[in-house]
Amino acid sequence: MVRYLITRVGQALIVVILVTVIAFLILHLLPGGAARATLGKDATLAQLAQFNHDMGYDKPWIQQYLMFLQRLLHGDLGYSYQLNQSVIEAITQRLPKTIVLSLLSTLLAIVVAIPLGVIQAVRRNRWADYTITSLSLLAYATPIFFMGLLMIILFSQVWPILPPEAPQGFTVAEVLADPAGLVLPTVTLAIVTVAVYSRYVRSSMVDNLNENYVRTARSKGLPEWRVVLVHTLRNGLFPIIGLLGMYLPALFSGALVVESLFNFPGMGQLFWQAALKRDYPVLLGVTLIISIATVVGSLIADLLYAAADPRVRLRGSAS
Amino acid sequence: MEPLLELRDLDTDIAQRRGTVHALDGVSLRVMPGETLGIVGESGSGKTMTALSIMGLLPPGGQVSGGEIVFEGRDLRSLPADEVRRTRGVRMGMVFQDPLTSLNPTMRIGVQVAEPLRVHEKVGKAEARTRAVEILRRVGMPRPDKIVDNYPHELSGGMRQRVAIAMALVCSPKLLIADEPTTALDVTTQRQILELIDDLREEFSMAVILVTHDLGVIAGRADRVAVMYAGRVVETSATAALFRTPRHRYTEALLEALPEAADGERLYSIPGLPPDLSRPLTGCRFAERCRHVTDECRVTDIPLTGDAHQFACLHPVSPTDQIPSPVRVSSAPVVDAARVAGSPVLSVRNLVKNYASHGRGLRRDAGQVSAVADVSFEVAAGETFGLVGESGCGKSTLGRLAVGLERPSDGQIVLDGTDIGALSGRERRRMHREVQLMFQDSYAAMNPRMRVDSILAEPLEIQKAGDGAARRARINTLLDQVGLSRRVLERYPHEFSGGQLQRIGLARSLALQPRLIVGDEPVSALDVSIQAQVLNLMRDLQQELGLAYVFISHDLSVVDYMADRIGVMYLGKLVEVGPAREVVRAARHPYTQALIDAVPSINEVSRERIAIEGELPSALNPPTGCRFRTRCPLATSRCETEPPLAGDRHQVACHFPLRPESSAAAVQAGAVQ
Repeated sequence: MVRYLITRVGQALIVVILVTVIAFLILHLLPGGAARATLGKDATLAQLAQFNHDMGYDKPWIQQYLMFLQRLLHGDLGYSYQLNQSVIEAITQRLPKTIVLSLLSTLLAIVVAIPLGVIQAVRRNRWADYTITSLSLLAYATPIFFMGLLMIILFSQVWPILPPEAPQGFTVAEVLADPAGLVLPTVTLAIVTVAVYSRYVRSSMVDNLNENYVRTARSKGLPEWRVVLVHTLRNGLFPIIGLLGMYLPALFSGALVVESLFNFPGMGQLFWQAALKRDYPVLLGVTLIISIATVVGSLIADLLYAAADPRVRLRGSAS
Repeated sequence: MEPLLELRDLDTDIAQRRGTVHALDGVSLRVMPGETLGIVGESGSGKTMTALSIMGLLPPGGQVSGGEIVFEGRDLRSLPADEVRRTRGVRMGMVFQDPLTSLNPTMRIGVQVAEPLRVHEKVGKAEARTRAVEILRRVGMPRPDKIVDNYPHELSGGMRQRVAIAMALVCSPKLLIADEPTTALDVTTQRQILELIDDLREEFSMAVILVTHDLGVIAGRADRVAVMYAGRVVETSATAALFRTPRHRYTEALLEALPEAADGERLYSIPGLPPDLSRPLTGCRFAERCRHVTDECRVTDIPLTGDAHQFACLHPVSPTDQIPSPVRVSSAPVVDAARVAGSPVLSVRNLVKNYASHGRGLRRDAGQVSAVADVSFEVAAGETFGLVGESGCGKSTLGRLAVGLERPSDGQIVLDGTDIGALSGRERRRMHREVQLMFQDSYAAMNPRMRVDSILAEPLEIQKAGDGAARRARINTLLDQVGLSRRVLERYPHEFSGGQLQRIGLARSLALQPRLIVGDEPVSALDVSIQAQVLNLMRDLQQELGLAYVFISHDLSVVDYMADRIGVMYLGKLVEVGPAREVVRAARHPYTQALIDAVPSINEVSRERIAIEGELPSALNPPTGCRFRTRCPLATSRCETEPPLAGDRHQVACHFPLRPESSAAAVQAGAVQ
């Protein structure tokens, strides 16, 4: 188990290093370079040269990369002149809030999607299955901004029970102090995820219910709920674990829209505003963080796999 | 005495997309307390559906549509669902075919075994565990107190089947249904499991329904037998009577199609295929394939008649007109000296194949899997060399090495006098014409998106043999040779039955006019009647084309029927090589003898058996010296040194051969006279 862990973390580190290389290269492929991007189109050549010299951009690429890496290790992602604060500061302010939103919506999605998928598998090809399938496809096909607007119209205007704006608090505690404001963004973000997860749960459960071991369980005269929940569910949820890891970064793209729509000061909104203002240091910083989140997500998924499936556990610990 | 279980006119339907399959049609059977009923039949006969109907475990779309299932005096069909479920869990138990997939992979053995106790008897956790250990001990599981905490993947197939049996017996049922319980296992393991079921039947005083396609398994174990064909019981009687004087023409044909019944003569092969059960059928369902059919058979619905020995046939075998004793005297020697002549086609010299074991992390040098260890043999032109052994013995690896699919770690493969290891890539490709492979699962070995004409043309195209017209002519010749009509050319692999696919596979192997065909379990997936068709075809083609075969199989009776000489493999080593009939009837190596004794036969006579215990050791770091010594009843300290393969015609690698070579030949000669 320990060896398995070390191997996987090692692999994850290699991927992260590659990500930094790519991020670094992108920074240097910017049209006009970082100097022009930062100082604007009115800057003189002398100013640009001075900027490049100050930032070390006139040194060889390898040296620049090492400097970039060194700054990165010290948590220095650059400075945003637009926000007038360091990138790392901007991110640390907003990241926790986005994490809260993502976790809440993922949790909600799982709690709803698993029972839905199980019901569909057990009642497959009957009306319950068909109804849920149709609704899932509808939810999946609806653009998230449209879903968000629909939510706002329905629950803040037609039937005004929830605020249309997310909590504006500066810290996580302040955000959580206003739970009503979190409902609409969380639900909007969760709906699409529910659609995807429940499809996966359904097909995986259908496959598993046809397995021989389920027939064996039935031959023991177990009640059907026990066959489904005790024997099949655990094996049926393995694909969802992998999906969770992959979906972590995908959730961010949803957050991008939802945060703008509900005016929630998180990573999505930060990225969106930086994109509008061409705030390259911020864009790069956010990209880097998302890349790392992707790697960490798949690492967590692998570890969860290993914890859940004894066969994987063996593969890692056999000597 | 009241029967424990009685099926009355049971009908089972399975709704499928194409229509409803009438899997069972009026099946009536009874099982007395404590007896073993064997249900035998080919695939699609309804034997498994009968078992699943009793257990209420029919696949999706399946339902019992008529008749009664009376168990312990109550019709299960009229009981409430919960009561049926409890009956199934407590009073009945079922063991399935494939032990590798029949256990929940993520649940500990002990939890799975004790689950019926927890559910039906509301037993506490600690007691459930104690009783799981107890029942595992009774099914012969070594170290049961450790095994309860293991997961299924940590056990071998045979051990998992023991777990499955323990699970079925944990509530002490009165009826155990075993559906092909040993089909996925090796013969030596099969014997252990069948004997275990026999012992447990007495210990638990329960009845057993043994469902199988293998007549040999039934012959040795069942009190009574029911023969099923196309969803009906066609004959039922006491076991001995059925094998001595079969009455139904299907049973007769089935027994004649067994390779062990042939003894060198041509097998009887039942023509055609079983009927499609989704269509309405009238008359005897075997009529289309029967030698004795009359017009009456096709229109009359024939009920089971008779008292103790029932059968449904208008033209039954007369009880005095017995089929010839399976041990027949062959008129001609099997090895035809004129056919087997000249220099060897294939000569394997000191062949070694090791695979690197997948070492993990820091211990990459975890060792080597020794798949083939210093094996030498020759195959003469026109000869059939049979390779037998249990799974994992290296016989398939040897076959793949012989056709050049894998490169040997050491040693030589000489084809027609040329060492293929010394050839360049292009020359090696040319040599491939001479030796072709035939697979067990022909469907998996064909591209499902290619039509048969492309499948057959491909080898010719790759080897750039002839122009388009010549290739078409060649393909037509091939179809004639394997007995298929030209119409098959436009069809796809999924449209064919197993036997037809095997013919297409054979045609493909023959396309380049090879001198040697390596058949890796070519008939193992086929039913007995179809198997006979393919075996006969292979023999005919050998006569016609002078082919040599390396015939790889785990089934000794098939190899005995097909081969001129047999090589027996154990854990990568060739332990015995000799003329087929001598090896089978006068084995010299203790392993060969144990293997022969383990094969269930329709002639179950008491004989002195060499029973081997335990399971095949790992080929990763195999035992030193004689590799069989860890399981051999005759082993002494001398066996720690490796015995060479010694002898003249009938070689053996053993320090203590069961008989000297001269005596082996004499025993064989005696058997023929």
